[in-house]
Amino acid sequence: MVKHTYFLVLLIMAVHSANAQSSILDAGFRLQQTVNLYNENGIALSYSNKNLLPDRLYFGFSYATSRLGTAFSSNAIKQDNFLLSAAWYFRQYHVIRPFVRLNTGYFSADYGEAIFNVLPRSSALLSSDFGLCFQTGLPLKISTSLGYNFITGNGLSGPGTLFPVFYQLTLSWNIFDHTKLSHHRALPQKLKL
Amino acid sequence: MKKILFAAMMMLALAGCKKTPVIPAADLGGGVIMDPSLTDPSAYRISVSQPNPTPAQAQIPVIICCHGYTASTFEWDEFRTWSNGTSKYYIDQVLLAGHGTTYDAFKKSTWHDWESSIMDEYNLLVKEGYQNISFAGSSTSCTLLLDMISSGFFKVSAFNFSTSTYNKIHIFLVDPIVIPSDKNLSLIGALGPVLGYVTSNNAPGEEQYYYHYRPEETLQQLQDVLNQVRDELQNGIQLPDYIYLKVYKSIRDPTADPVSAVLIYNGIKTSIGRNIDLDFVNSDIHVFTRLNLVPNVTALDRQNQIYAFTDITTRIFQ
Repeated sequence: MVKHTYFLVLLIMAVHSANAQSSILDAGFRLQQTVNLYNENGIALSYSNKNLLPDRLYFGFSYATSRLGTAFSSNAIKQDNFLLSAAWYFRQYHVIRPFVRLNTGYFSADYGEAIFNVLPRSSALLSSDFGLCFQTGLPLKISTSLGYNFITGNGLSGPGTLFPVFYQLTLSWNIFDHTKLSHHRALPQKLKL
Repeated sequence: MKKILFAAMMMLALAGCKKTPVIPAADLGGGVIMDPSLTDPSAYRISVSQPNPTPAQAQIPVIICCHGYTASTFEWDEFRTWSNGTSKYYIDQVLLAGHGTTYDAFKKSTWHDWESSIMDEYNLLVKEGYQNISFAGSSTSCTLLLDMISSGFFKVSAFNFSTSTYNKIHIFLVDPIVIPSDKNLSLIGALGPVLGYVTSNNAPGEEQYYYHYRPEETLQQLQDVLNQVRDELQNGIQLPDYIYLKVYKSIRDPTADPVSAVLIYNGIKTSIGRNIDLDFVNSDIHVFTRLNLVPNVTALDRQNQIYAFTDITTRIFQ
C-alpha cells in the first residue's frame, strides 16, 4: 500500500514537473483512410520533451484499426496498425505548422478462419507522412497528413490489405497543459499566422 | 514557390498530352490481330453454333467461360482442348467488350460493357432454350460475375417461366480479383492522367492474346469494379438456393492478391447461411488453369489445372 502511494506521488510529481518544463503530451483520436481501401480509426499520442528540441521534435505512438472503421459491423477484414513515430514540426509559434514524420510499427490482419493460415497476415510497417498541424488557442491540435507505406502486400508476400497511400486527421489535446491554454497563448507576442 | 508552380504546370502539361502507344501489327491491339471468336463465333459460342437446341440438347450443361482484364478467349482454350469435344457439356467462350480488338476499342470500354458481354450471352442462351447454364470465370470476370449475383441479375434472368422455377446455376471462380496484387492500382485516379497507359510484362507469345498496353481509362474502370464488388462483399451477399458458387485461388498470385479469396469467403453465404466452397491451390500462377505460354510450367501446375477442370465438370452435374 505504501509502495503504491509512493509510486502515485512520484507519478503526479513527474507529470507536474513535465508541465512546469512545458513538455507536451498530445493525446487524441486518429481518423485514417487508406486510398481505395479501408477507413481505420484509433488513438494517437505525441510527446515533445522540453529538454530535447521542444515543440519541434515529437515522438509518438498510434493505433488505428478497421475494427473502429470499415470493419465495424461489416465483412471487411479486421486489421490493426501499431505505429511508433518521430516527427519534426516546422514554424514554431505559428498557427499553421507543417510537419514531416517517419513511422515504423506492426500490422496484423485477422482473416477469421483457419483455412486462411496459408496466407501472410502480418508485416512490419514503415511509412512516412507529411502534413499540416493547426495549433488552436486551446491545447487542442488538429493535424492532417498524407502518408506513404513503403511496405505493402504484393500477392506473393505481405498482407494483401496493406496499401500504399493513406491520409489521416488527428485531433489531440495537450494533457500536460493544465492552464487550458496553450503555451502559444501564454506567449501571444510570438504567435504568428 | 516558382519551382512549385513550374512543377505543377509541367504536371498539367503532361496530363494534357495525348498518349497513344505505337503497337506492332504482330501484337493484339495493333488493329491486325483480332480475337478469333470475332471472325468465327460459331467455334466459340454455342449460342451461335447451335441456336435451336432440341429438348435434349437444351438440358445439357453449357459452361460460359469468361476471361480476365486485357485477356481474350485464349484464356479458356485449354479447357476446350482438355474437354476433347465431349458431348456431356458445351463450352461457350465469351469475349468481353473492348477486348481482343484494338487499343482504342479497349480504351473506350467500361466495366459495365465487359459485364454486359457475359449477361448478353447468358440471356441469349436462355432465350434459345438452354436450361442448364454455368459459368467459369477467371480473374476480372469473377468480379463481374459477383456483381451480377449481387445486383440481382439472375433473379430475373434465371427464372424459367415454363416450369415456374429457377434454373440451377453453377459459378466457378478461378483466381478472382477483388484486391489487386499491384497496389499501385489504387493510385490510378491520381497517376493515370499523367501516365496515359501502363505496360504489362507478358511472356513471349502472349502479346497475341493479351493487351500489352493498358490505357489508364480501363485501369480506372478496373479499380471502379473492384471497389464496387468489395463494397458489395462488405455488406454481405446471400446466394439464392439455385446458385452454387466455388472459388479456386492460387496462394501466391502476382496479379490478384490471394486476400481476395478472404473477402469473397467472408462476404458470401449460401442460401442456408453456410460458407461457400473454397480451394486454395499451391500455385504462384495467376489463372492457374491457363498454362499455355506460361514459362517454366511444373508437373504440379499441370496437376492443379486438371484438378480444377475435373472438379468443374463434375460439379455441374450435382
